[in-house]
Amino acid sequence: MRTLRGKLVDLWHARELLRQFVAKELKIRYKNSSLGFLWSLLTPALMTLVFTALFGLAFDIGVDDYPAFFVSGYLLWQFFQTSSQSSITAIVGNGQLIKKVYFPREVLPLSMVLAQLTHFLLAMLVVGPFLIYSRGWGVLWHLPATLLVVVLLTIFTSGMAMVFAGANVPFRDLQELIVVIFLVWFYATPVLYPAALVTSSTNGVVQALAGVATANPMSWFVELFRTSTFGTVRAVPGQTVDSAAELVFITTGPGWPDPELLALATVVSVLVFGFGYVLFNRLALTFAKEV
Amino acid sequence: MLDGLRDLIRDEDGPAVHVRGLTETFRLYHSRPSGIKERLYRFSRPSWTDFNALQDVTFDVGAGEAVGIVGHNGSGKSTLLKVLARILPPDEGEVVTRGRVASLLELGAGFHGDLSGRENIYLNGAILGLSRAEIDERFDEIVAFAGVGPFLDTAVRNYSSGMYVRLGFAIAVTVDPEILLVDEVLSVGDAAFQERSLERMRTFRDAGKTLLVVSHDLEAIGALCDRVLVLDRGRLRFDGSVDQGLALYEQLTRTAPREHDEEDEPGRHRAVRVAEAWLTDRSGDPIEAVAPGTGLLLRVRVHAEDDVDACSVGLRLERGDGEQLHETHAAWHGLGIGPLRAGQEAVVELRLAANVLAGHYRLHPLVTDASARFAWAFGTPLGLEVQPTRGAVGAVDLAASFAVSDGPALRLGAEQAGQRDGVADA
Repeated sequence: MRTLRGKLVDLWHARELLRQFVAKELKIRYKNSSLGFLWSLLTPALMTLVFTALFGLAFDIGVDDYPAFFVSGYLLWQFFQTSSQSSITAIVGNGQLIKKVYFPREVLPLSMVLAQLTHFLLAMLVVGPFLIYSRGWGVLWHLPATLLVVVLLTIFTSGMAMVFAGANVPFRDLQELIVVIFLVWFYATPVLYPAALVTSSTNGVVQALAGVATANPMSWFVELFRTSTFGTVRAVPGQTVDSAAELVFITTGPGWPDPELLALATVVSVLVFGFGYVLFNRLALTFAKEV
Repeated sequence: MLDGLRDLIRDEDGPAVHVRGLTETFRLYHSRPSGIKERLYRFSRPSWTDFNALQDVTFDVGAGEAVGIVGHNGSGKSTLLKVLARILPPDEGEVVTRGRVASLLELGAGFHGDLSGRENIYLNGAILGLSRAEIDERFDEIVAFAGVGPFLDTAVRNYSSGMYVRLGFAIAVTVDPEILLVDEVLSVGDAAFQERSLERMRTFRDAGKTLLVVSHDLEAIGALCDRVLVLDRGRLRFDGSVDQGLALYEQLTRTAPREHDEEDEPGRHRAVRVAEAWLTDRSGDPIEAVAPGTGLLLRVRVHAEDDVDACSVGLRLERGDGEQLHETHAAWHGLGIGPLRAGQEAVVELRLAANVLAGHYRLHPLVTDASARFAWAFGTPLGLEVQPTRGAVGAVDLAASFAVSDGPALRLGAEQAGQRDGVADA
């Protein structure tokens, strides 16, 4: 068993490999599509249109600037989801390489995450002006908080990516299961709706669901990211309503995120990364025999 | 005590490769429980057989030694190199390597077809552990050795297979390790390329680096190595001089039973042996390198050691890398040999055509029971060299010809035809 220190030295030496894998991912992703990189922007743009039509207009949930509200959460979610889903086949799909060459295996899932991060940051450059137009210059002033959240989410996502990539080797059903996992996870994260929609309900079932959503780390990241890029959405206090549709919300402009939530997200990100790294390296011992 | 031993092993003057009691186990699942369904159905643990690809292997290789590793398919050669290359962790025992290790287990591993030659040089270089500066420094040398200069910005999916392996090899040999592990890559590419790569290995050896080579090409091993390890079913059978080692290996190959022979027919093994086999052209004249499609005549003389009612003679065709390409048996053609009395001999004639493209092949004559299910004995393998031809690349000769049946046809001059050849053979 090699020491952790030795492994980290290996990983440092593999930084050129990581860079090359990221470059490869970026180059081949849209190689054969005519719109190419535009798809990274078109997908969230189309999703924003659909959900704005649905929740902004058809069932108006009463949030100001719904398109900006949606896209500020959805881009972040999309980064997490595409990173996880492309990482899941990072080991299984590279069997030939793993059986024939030695290199630190974690480079494969990490390169997927960094490639998706690049797409995400480029999409933010385009969406940024739209957010500033909708929500004012506060979006720009709170940029340091936004970047900090992106760094934390990247650490969290890297940990999850290593878990998915490693676990899929002995347990191949995971790559089918993940579609369902992410569908449920998406609705359990307040991307489409403000968290206040579920937390303010007096309905017992919804309250239980709200508990799940509150304990879900992706909710924290969306909440933190949305605070500095969009603002906060809170229910007007003292409302007693039977249906969530009757809730009245107050939407504020961009601000600094809650330090306690930020601290919690930091601790959990580091723990998830550490767990993912250790689990992945344990599983990696038999990758060459099992892929 | 143990600590003292470890210090000894880590000593700077110690061997370049140190292997003690190495055992590598593969779990062969009867049905792999990779899904949720199997796991739910099978409350008990899944059924498997543990298979030792390597068993209690111990040896040292001193710095600067060139060691050949031989053994028939499944003897554990490749597994051993993978353990030394750190691709597989040792299940039992201890493996220590001293110095930078590079492995050529597959040329162009990690090439991506959609990326250009230039991009793949950087990608593959990084996979082999080179830094960007190191690749920059060696870039021109790689391009020159591979001879891909004009195609640097072409996607490698459009490369000929020759260009592909040349580029892979050129990158791999610039890694400049202290210990180089080579698995069978010497048998790919055309004869000229094989000669060049062998030359490169010699240069490497003469520079005082440590070399471990796995190959079925005994000539290459003889030319390159000063020591041979013979592996047989995961065990180290011999460690010593090249001549003795190769003789032992040939002996093992001749007598090695086929894989599904584990359920050996009792008592029948080697009731008939292959006394001699000749490969000639159709008129019985000896052959050297032949053109694809050439008609050949294989004659196999068998010798009965015991009285047998019936037996069959068969033939297996293998490529240089051990890939089996063809198998046929007299029994499959409805022809048996027998009955034979002890000491009686018979000669079987087999007409065949060399419908393969350029390369080195081996024909293995063998004697089996009348159902061709159990191998009784193998003859000495016969080498078959097939010459390069224009108009086709790959492994098999389909005797293809073209015609334009509808629409205008154009006879291309030597110029255009030559350009295509230029891509394949540059």
